Amino acid sequence: MSIVEILFWFLTALALFGALMVVFSKNPVHSVLWLISVFFSISGHYILLNAQFLAIVNMIVYAGAIMVLFLFVIMLMNMNTESEPQKSKWLRIAASLSGGSLMLVLVAALKDTSGRVTGVFKLDGNIGLIKNLGQVLFTDYVLPFEISSVLFLSAMVGAVLLGKKETNSIIS
Amino acid sequence: MNTIIFSALWGVLMMYVGFIVKKQKSATAFAVLGLIVLLIVSWLEYAGVSIFTIDMQGMLRYNRLSLVFNLVMIFSTLVYFLLSGSDIEKFGKSSSDYYALLFFILTGISIISGFQSLLMLFIGIEIISIPLYILAGSEKSNLKSNEAALKYFLMGAFSTGIMLMGIAFLYGDAGTFYVEGINLGLGKITPMLAVGMVLLMAAMSFKVSAAPFHFWTPDVYDGTPTVFTSFMATIVKAAGFFAFFRLFENAFGNLHSDWEILIAVIATLTLLIGNITAVFQQSIKRMLSYSSIAQAGFMLMGVFALNTFAKHGLILYFAAYSFATLGIFAVLAKFKDHSIEAFNGFAKRYPLVGFSMLICILSLAGIPLTGGFFAKYYMLLAVIKYGKMFWLVIVGILCAAISVYYYFKLVQAIYFKEAAQREDVVFTRSFELMMLANAILIIILGIHPDWLMSLLYM
Repeated sequence: MSIVEILFWFLTALALFGALMVVFSKNPVHSVLWLISVFFSISGHYILLNAQFLAIVNMIVYAGAIMVLFLFVIMLMNMNTESEPQKSKWLRIAASLSGGSLMLVLVAALKDTSGRVTGVFKLDGNIGLIKNLGQVLFTDYVLPFEISSVLFLSAMVGAVLLGKKETNSIIS
Repeated sequence: MNTIIFSALWGVLMMYVGFIVKKQKSATAFAVLGLIVLLIVSWLEYAGVSIFTIDMQGMLRYNRLSLVFNLVMIFSTLVYFLLSGSDIEKFGKSSSDYYALLFFILTGISIISGFQSLLMLFIGIEIISIPLYILAGSEKSNLKSNEAALKYFLMGAFSTGIMLMGIAFLYGDAGTFYVEGINLGLGKITPMLAVGMVLLMAAMSFKVSAAPFHFWTPDVYDGTPTVFTSFMATIVKAAGFFAFFRLFENAFGNLHSDWEILIAVIATLTLLIGNITAVFQQSIKRMLSYSSIAQAGFMLMGVFALNTFAKHGLILYFAAYSFATLGIFAVLAKFKDHSIEAFNGFAKRYPLVGFSMLICILSLAGIPLTGGFFAKYYMLLAVIKYGKMFWLVIVGILCAAISVYYYFKLVQAIYFKEAAQREDVVFTRSFELMMLANAILIIILGIHPDWLMSLLYM
């Protein structure tokens, strides 16, 4: 086993373990902390795939900003095991059955594909640098890049609209 | 491309208009003006004149069908603004911002009408969805509206996640986001392609509220302020269907025989669940939301058949269904009480609006001489011409018969019930005339559907 493979399996095991702990932790704050570890191990995967910039952004944005927001929300809402809504037994059984069958179908469908997917990734150490990324973003993908500004604009307008105090509304 | 740029720009302009104008009526007038400009520029695009030359890298490509679709959508929005503009004005100072959001939705619609890359499909669907979450929660003091917004947002976010996962699988299989690249594959289904396709199918079915993914529809449509439900149930739904159709035609056309059974089952379930549940509804708003699920079943037949009749039928269906539903919702938005009894003796008090509503209802039920008849006819014809799964036609006809029952409950209330003590609604003269014009439009579509379809060949 080469060092890359060892790293890959280590990070994979870490990501899976962290993801399971997110689901099984009783304390929501612990869940969030495990989620951070999942993001870090996925960032490790990105580095293995030569996507250094993506790895850093993933750490800064997800593990940094968004998870801090999560923690704040959870702490402000003061959630704990007592206030957790009890779900009915049947709902749990149905949820695990449907989730399990989705996993079964996905695994059954995808188990034959191993090793087929190669053409997509180029083994070039520079491919994930900001320079290359920027070049691709502003040449090949400039149209979706520009159009997504409409998406963000509408999200901003919406956030302001929802947060604004209603002053002279007639609608009761 | 004209439509995308102008609708986005006009959305930005609408926000400034909110500062400048004093009366909300002028905001509506400005929005209507914007739609007329949009109609002109998209007509220019249809005639082959593009105002901007932009290298689109093949990510967007408009054919006749998508340009006609754009025209139909913009025209339906114009009808919507003219009919329901006075209800949007009730939101006071922020109404021009809501208009801006509606223009952004139009941008999204004109993106997905021409997408050639799954990236554009994703961005388009998101531009449509995000303003809708806000419109669903626009009535801030109403708990039901808050619930609708939150429910729609959470479910919509999950379905978007499923869609992204599907796109990721397709990228993994084909190595490209371009739909031709996916379609040109080996023409034979690989496990990854199958997984990606089914995930995309699930996400798109959610967006158009087809049967096993329809559970959000009644709650969201019911909680959303009626003005915006009207837009959600018509124009946005049609856009979702167009994306569905285009995706399955262009990306998975070679695998038609592999997925047809899935779509046929979804269509059957949608028809049965939508129609049978609609029978038991007491509130008109809920009944219409189930009826919109039922109509989605018919439109799915077009996705199932994928032939020329399906294209004609879908364009006609979008127009006929949008006009009829917009008309009913526009009247409904004036009422606080949404039960069927509220409409008892309606035609006696308001003969003109009552008659226009009758035409709308008849069109939804698919009675001849209205646009809805030919829309349903073309859908069934498309399935027959496709030549497989004839039972889908039988289910369709049976469900159309069921739908007549609950639509006519409303007709019965409007025309044949004694008026009880009910709230008084004031319709302005211009609203009455607009409703009548809408009804005439539906009848023209029912007599001369070829006028709309000939646009596809001009």
